[in-house]
Amino acid sequence: MPNLNINGRNMSVEAANDTPLLWVIREQLQMTGTKFGCGAGLCGACTVHLNGEAVRSCQTSVADAVGKKITTIEGLSAKGDHPLQKAWIAEQVPQCGYCQSGQIMQAAALLSKNSNPTKDEVVAHMDGNLCRCMTYSRIQKAIMRAATEMRTASATGNERRAT
Amino acid sequence: MNEHVKNVTPETTDLSRRSFLVGTAATGLVLGYAGVPGIDHALAAAPAHFEPSVWYSIAPDGLVTVTCGKADMGQHVASTMAQIVAEELGASWKDMRVQLASNDPKFNDPVLGAQITGGSWSTMMNFDAMSRAGAAGRMALTEAAAATMGVPAGELVVGNSVISHSKSKKSMSFAEVVKSGKATKTFTPDELKAIKLKSPEQYTMIGVSVPQLDIPSKTNGTAKYGIDVMLPGMVYGKVVTPPVRYGATVKSVDDSAAKKVPGFIKAVTLDDKTGTTTGWVVAVANTYANARKAADALKIEYDGGPNAKLSSESLLTEAKRLQGLSDSGQFFVKDGDPNAAFGTAAKVLEAEYTTNINIHAPMEPMNATAEFKGDILHIHTGNQFATRSGAIAAGAAGIDPKYVVMHQMWLGGGFGRRLDADMTVPAVQAAKSVGKPVKVIYSRENDMTMDFSRPLTYQKVKAGMDGDGKLVALSHDVVSAWPTQRWGIPDFLSPSVDKKGPLDAFTVNGADFFYTVPNHYVRAIKNEMAHNATPSGQLRSVAPGWTFWAIESMIDEIAHATGKDPALFRVELLDGKGKNDGGAQRLRNTLLAAMGLAGYGTLKLPKGEGMGVACVSSQERATASWTACVAHVAVAPSGEVKVKKLTVATDVGTQVNPDGIRAQVEGAALWGMSLALFEKATLKDGGIEQTNFDSYTPLRMSQLPEVAVNVIANGEKATGVGEPAVTVVAPAIGNAVFNAVGARVRGLPITAEAVKAAMKA
Ligand code: FES
Ligand code: FES
Repeated sequence: MPNLNINGRNMSVEAANDTPLLWVIREQLQMTGTKFGCGAGLCGACTVHLNGEAVRSCQTSVADAVGKKITTIEGLSAKGDHPLQKAWIAEQVPQCGYCQSGQIMQAAALLSKNSNPTKDEVVAHMDGNLCRCMTYSRIQKAIMRAATEMRTASATGNERRAT
Repeated sequence: MNEHVKNVTPETTDLSRRSFLVGTAATGLVLGYAGVPGIDHALAAAPAHFEPSVWYSIAPDGLVTVTCGKADMGQHVASTMAQIVAEELGASWKDMRVQLASNDPKFNDPVLGAQITGGSWSTMMNFDAMSRAGAAGRMALTEAAAATMGVPAGELVVGNSVISHSKSKKSMSFAEVVKSGKATKTFTPDELKAIKLKSPEQYTMIGVSVPQLDIPSKTNGTAKYGIDVMLPGMVYGKVVTPPVRYGATVKSVDDSAAKKVPGFIKAVTLDDKTGTTTGWVVAVANTYANARKAADALKIEYDGGPNAKLSSESLLTEAKRLQGLSDSGQFFVKDGDPNAAFGTAAKVLEAEYTTNINIHAPMEPMNATAEFKGDILHIHTGNQFATRSGAIAAGAAGIDPKYVVMHQMWLGGGFGRRLDADMTVPAVQAAKSVGKPVKVIYSRENDMTMDFSRPLTYQKVKAGMDGDGKLVALSHDVVSAWPTQRWGIPDFLSPSVDKKGPLDAFTVNGADFFYTVPNHYVRAIKNEMAHNATPSGQLRSVAPGWTFWAIESMIDEIAHATGKDPALFRVELLDGKGKNDGGAQRLRNTLLAAMGLAGYGTLKLPKGEGMGVACVSSQERATASWTACVAHVAVAPSGEVKVKKLTVATDVGTQVNPDGIRAQVEGAALWGMSLALFEKATLKDGGIEQTNFDSYTPLRMSQLPEVAVNVIANGEKATGVGEPAVTVVAPAIGNAVFNAVGARVRGLPITAEAVKAAMKA
């Protein structure tokens, strides 16, 4: 029975070691915000973070996730108010919404390392995430908006620390 | 399939003859039509919890919950319906909530008499009914408030969920009125019809980009789609689909290896009397991961059936053969006599246009959860056609459709795919077989190879011009599978002009354009071979996605052949004469707007770049949103096409939510581009060859062009926006490619190889 650390909680799950993490998260732990799109690493709908890196949970076995910190859309922020989530609402990004958990998790991994990405960096980082509703331009805008907010927040944070 | 379908529209659906009730139940104010079981029950019994049974209700806390009978697949239609209700009701947007309806006939579309979402019809067909429902609620609340306040109802003003009386400075919130229990009123159909609705200049809500109510839940993982359904005691099914798209049968199933998979329960071979699926087996197990393993371990022998040798090439050859027969097909348009006119024409042009098979591939793979509870079969899935899908599920279960309850979920993409009900069949038969609720989830491979695809189409267009280059004759043959005829519902077919029986207008819509052409034939020819081998469905925009590809390419070809500017040639043809009066002028204006916005004919473009135009009256003549596009492309010597910019203008009459419309139009335009350049499925040995997003490749972020969406709202009736822009983009790109490098490509998708070959030719 592998032990997983998901969104800060330790959970033991009943699954063979080779079970894709995706199905354990969705069906066993019933955290259904992480989506199944292709099962082949081609769409990004299943994106979660392992130790802060964006990975495709359909291509990650439970065994590979043991001992790492797993974050899903449910754990990205306490109240759904991560700068990206707020920007997603401000830009009215989602249409059907099915791809958007994966989009947000993929974008969050970028912004955690680089809060001032260029448009090309955004495209390169996000190109593996399909959106069949074609919300790409709003996704780009929302990422830029969130990045700006994060930079402003950390700038004011630094000032506060300085005083 | 038909006998199940016939009895799905019970007699209770004609709402125009029913009274509209506003009454107070234990849970608040409920509003809906009389004689529909739910509302009578809600008002009479007033139980603490009643099933949502009416179009909207107002709770004692003032929250207004609108029940949406339309499938919400990203077009935010639930939110739009709430916005229309809120306008007339006078509710504050922050008090509005939405929920999704079950398949109860009381949620049927007031115009269509069924629960179906498609055709970009929803806003258009529900605007009036939802407006009246909102107004009726406001009147009932106002009268109750007037009685409580002791002032004349006529002096009250309603806004922001508050009813106020300025002279006495008294006011009551909706919540207070509902709590008073006094709001009760019945409207006869005539009274409902007589309600004076707001005129556009009085709108405070319609035309405003209020935030869509479903969006927050789609940023934090809480929106529930069909695939997210969890029922107590539920087990999982993974379908194993045959190598042939349609017509295979299972000869034998060897589950000896599957039995070694832990948690494996059973392999169920479908016995699908509805004919929706053929040769499917479901592996049932305690978890989805185990069901997948078991499915992989099954050894199944098939008889490939009659279509096992067919390929895209054979479907195309058959289409050409059928087109060549003088007596095949039925006439959709028959004006004048093109054949005679060709004889006297100064110039005749002929061309063939094709489109390949296309796959919907919504991001949420098909799925359904079925549970038998007592007499009732419960289906949980996101579906666009609850009325028919419930009947298919009933057919799969061998029960009467009235015992099926469809629980609607948010749709992880629809695009027409979820008009079909195939996913319910394995869920129902597996649940019946194992005696437990079963959730069936298709793999992406199942989803792609078993799609009810956009059919392969073949069109031949012949045009005749007089000595001045005026287009005097056009004959247009459209050969395809017939997606809507497959439903077996006569109401969705149209009579043919030549009285040769009903035809599937969803294969030729758009070909009855608004250009004035005195001699004009359109023939709809069913490709029976394609119809059987690749059961086709409604893919976002359906027929206009191919008819305008042919028409708008041909119009360009004619303009070039007669030395005219293709855009101005269109303007000339849109003269608004006769039956085209009104529509033609709107389309002309839209085209001119797009040309101006794009800098058509004024921007100097470098070598290898070009602009092309197209304009369309999608979806149907009667329900058109006037849409034009200028595509700006750069073509590399290799033939590779890069779209630099799409300028789209669309006349939608009235906008309910401008930002929502822009999102839909942009998404639709990008769908059009994706179909034009990147998406191609092929049939080989009876099966679809593309199985996942590595071989079937919709547009990704790196391929995104600049998209400029311009919405024209001129106060005409609201029209649909989810589809028309899909249809205008492919011909605009094709025409731009020609203007850039002189290469005319007549098949979709436009590939680099095809462009290169046409450049040389
Ligand atoms: S489901 Fe994992 S990448 Fe598509
Ligand atoms: S919003 Fe529908 S797939 Fe992205």
